[in-house]
Amino acid sequence: MSIYSMWGALEIGLIFGLVALGVLISFRVLNFPDLTVDGSFPLGGATAAILIHHGMDPFMATGAATLAAGFAGMVTGWLNVRLKIMDLLASILMMIALYSINLRVMDAPNVPLITDPTVFTVLQPPGIEDYVARPLILLALVVVAKLLLDWFFATQVGLAMRSTGSNPRMARAQGIRTDNMVLLGMAISNALVGLGGALFAQSQGGADISMGIGTIVIGLAAVIIGESILPSRRLMLATLAVVIGAVLYRFFIALALNADFVGLKAQDLNLVTAVLVTVALVIPLAKQRLRKKRA
Amino acid sequence: MLSAQNLHLTFNPGTPIETQALRGMSLDIPAGQFVTVIGSNGAGKSTFLNAISGEQGVDSGAVLIDGEDVTRQPVWDRARKVARVFQDPMAGTCENLTIEENMSLALGRGQFRSLRQAVREEMRVLFRERLAMLGLGLENRLTDRIGLLSGGQRQAVSLLMAALRPSRILLLDEHTAALDPRTAQFVLDLTARIVAEHGLTTMMVTHSMRQALDVGDRTVMLHQGRVVLDVSGDTRRGLEVPDLLAMFEKVRGEELADDTLLLG
Amino acid sequence: MNLHSVLRALAGAAAVVGALASAQAQAQSVAVTSIVEHPALDAVKDGVHEALASAGYTEAKGLKWQFQTAQGNTAIAAQIARKFVGDKPDVIVAIATPSAQAVVAATKSIPVVYSAVTDPVAAQLVPGMEASGTNVTGVSDALSLEKQIDLIKKVVPEAKKVGMVYNPGEANSVVVVKRLRELLPQSGMSLVEATAARTVDVGAAARSLVGKVDVIYTNTDNNVVSAYESLVKVGNSAKIPLVASDTDSVKRGAIAALGVNYHDLGVQTGKLVVRILKGEKPGAIASETSSKLELYVNTGAAARQGVTLSDALVKSAAQVIK
Repeated sequence: MSIYSMWGALEIGLIFGLVALGVLISFRVLNFPDLTVDGSFPLGGATAAILIHHGMDPFMATGAATLAAGFAGMVTGWLNVRLKIMDLLASILMMIALYSINLRVMDAPNVPLITDPTVFTVLQPPGIEDYVARPLILLALVVVAKLLLDWFFATQVGLAMRSTGSNPRMARAQGIRTDNMVLLGMAISNALVGLGGALFAQSQGGADISMGIGTIVIGLAAVIIGESILPSRRLMLATLAVVIGAVLYRFFIALALNADFVGLKAQDLNLVTAVLVTVALVIPLAKQRLRKKRA
Repeated sequence: MLSAQNLHLTFNPGTPIETQALRGMSLDIPAGQFVTVIGSNGAGKSTFLNAISGEQGVDSGAVLIDGEDVTRQPVWDRARKVARVFQDPMAGTCENLTIEENMSLALGRGQFRSLRQAVREEMRVLFRERLAMLGLGLENRLTDRIGLLSGGQRQAVSLLMAALRPSRILLLDEHTAALDPRTAQFVLDLTARIVAEHGLTTMMVTHSMRQALDVGDRTVMLHQGRVVLDVSGDTRRGLEVPDLLAMFEKVRGEELADDTLLLG
Repeated sequence: MNLHSVLRALAGAAAVVGALASAQAQAQSVAVTSIVEHPALDAVKDGVHEALASAGYTEAKGLKWQFQTAQGNTAIAAQIARKFVGDKPDVIVAIATPSAQAVVAATKSIPVVYSAVTDPVAAQLVPGMEASGTNVTGVSDALSLEKQIDLIKKVVPEAKKVGMVYNPGEANSVVVVKRLRELLPQSGMSLVEATAARTVDVGAAARSLVGKVDVIYTNTDNNVVSAYESLVKVGNSAKIPLVASDTDSVKRGAIAALGVNYHDLGVQTGKLVVRILKGEKPGAIASETSSKLELYVNTGAAARQGVTLSDALVKSAAQVIK
């Protein structure tokens, strides 16, 4: 694997680390299976791309994209708490609706960002290669996001949100408006995912309507890999774990792309990725068995 | 103080499984009184409790707490005034949160939740103090996940949590029913202690006539959705279970055929 | 502990691959990527390979050729772009818009040749169709829509309403739809659209046009080409003539197509690759459009869909299918 591939895996891994943090909030904290992300990721990308394309400052465009995606998440939450639609179904409905909305936002299936300014071109420090600068910028951003989340979940509101997902009946008995907690949590979750989408579009050449397909799978894979490598009930470690999981997942793909020396072909990419991820999930189990044998 | 006025509630009206759960349920509990509530299955005990806490709406009638009509208020709005301990020890706490986090949630019951740190050092001092009362060593395990505790321990903590913030009415929903006899007694003694210490207005639903007479100032018996017996003061002192039975039969003109009530 | 051992394993794997890769660095290398595997796009890849072979560049003579498909996933397309740049090939060939964008965004120095992109300027691959001055050149599969409208009129002279089934998520198709909307009225016709976001939606989209259109035209939309049989079913049963943009579809049941042969497109692309391997700068090479258009007609389909083709049209066809 070349250095370039490694930096690339880190860069894309960190972007999906943001997605993984969002999925952590909906799936684990709120206990809300949320497929909206397949639509809010490209919504973030589409919003940022079209705004930058029309001349808006990339930072403001990214901010707008994050808010738009957060709003989409809130609508999913609203479908669930107000209209009493089952959580999974509400998220699927939103995901389907967002496909058309995203096409409207872009007014095309594809909005390129190759020659336009992006947050990365603006922040690019002289003397460092762009393919190194981008992951470093993202690393700083993801660290800030993680720390903010850790702080938030230690606050009274954050704790109230955690109890909403853990035991909504008890939460209500403590005076917590669980409906509002769901709306807030879904908004934060999808805002993070939308931020990831906006950054993806700016670093990879543009937004495309198909960029959201499979986002939930990548997010969940990151969460599961992370929890397997770094198992812990403490939220502070969980936020770290899922980011690591996202980066590792992209590393596995990069490894799989370089597997042609073993005689594997391009079509085998998905299979190789699946095998590598399975190995990662089995490692903790194997270690456990080894420990038992020694004892 | 609590005032339930002529509550009526019918489940599944107009269907073959129509059930009249509350039929003119009325009860006034003055401040500081400890009332025990008994009744056979289907008498309406849990439904009545849920109507007071807000988990269950009523068809007609009113629930007043301290003079305020809360009949239309959802659970979270009533939480300021209502503290509750559930029957299921798992239902009253959040399994994957720590002891101190659970207690912090209870300390903030009904209060505005801000972006301040949820668990602060001065709170920990309070939590340790209260937990020490249990004599279970939990004051040294504040950062343990509450899911690690046994059912009895969790129920004891739930009780402490209910008393962390003042309430107008404390609802105890058969809170020892899921525990083994020894632990049940422990929790019951704890209940009496806490209610006395904080002077809490309390309504305890129980499955056991024995328990109902041993604890509290007043005992109320429900049957078919309304109060059929209400004893307190001298009438109540010195009552034994068979006496209670006889009184019931006299009022209803029928035999009480529920074993659990008698044997409990 | 777990993280540690995983990292050690990764480092070991990387070292092995790195050693193997560097051993190949001296030979001429061409890296090709496509967004999906698809008959037309695969034909392009094969055409490139053929053009290279004709010019004397083969694996036997030391050419390092690698191909990666992004399986329809833009994130993987991005990682493939990174990998290629890290491998430092002499030329990268990127087939279809999303893959081309990912590659162009990833490198400003390695020569990039795009192929099968309908509007490379809108996709920001090149500033214009003339020599770009950057590291990018390529071959666009844009069709002259005037000629396409001409063909429609030759097949169905009295047509007033032209229906079009397409995937609203495919850049190439949206471009065509927009232009047709503007051009058709100039020939006294109008466009009626039906979208098919997935291949399984193609049949339903075609059925929604029954009774509303005189002919159904389609471009080289990925969804439509993949599910063309469902279109043929509707055309045959409702007697609506079908005009396609790729010659393969005529074999499958369209009446006629004036189309790009994607294999030839690939060969045309491969010739650009050869020029770059021989030392020309990509920035000095103007982007090209498909130079060879072929007319295929299917008289059997014409009969089934209720159309009689003029002798002149049939005679001018490169291939006639019964």
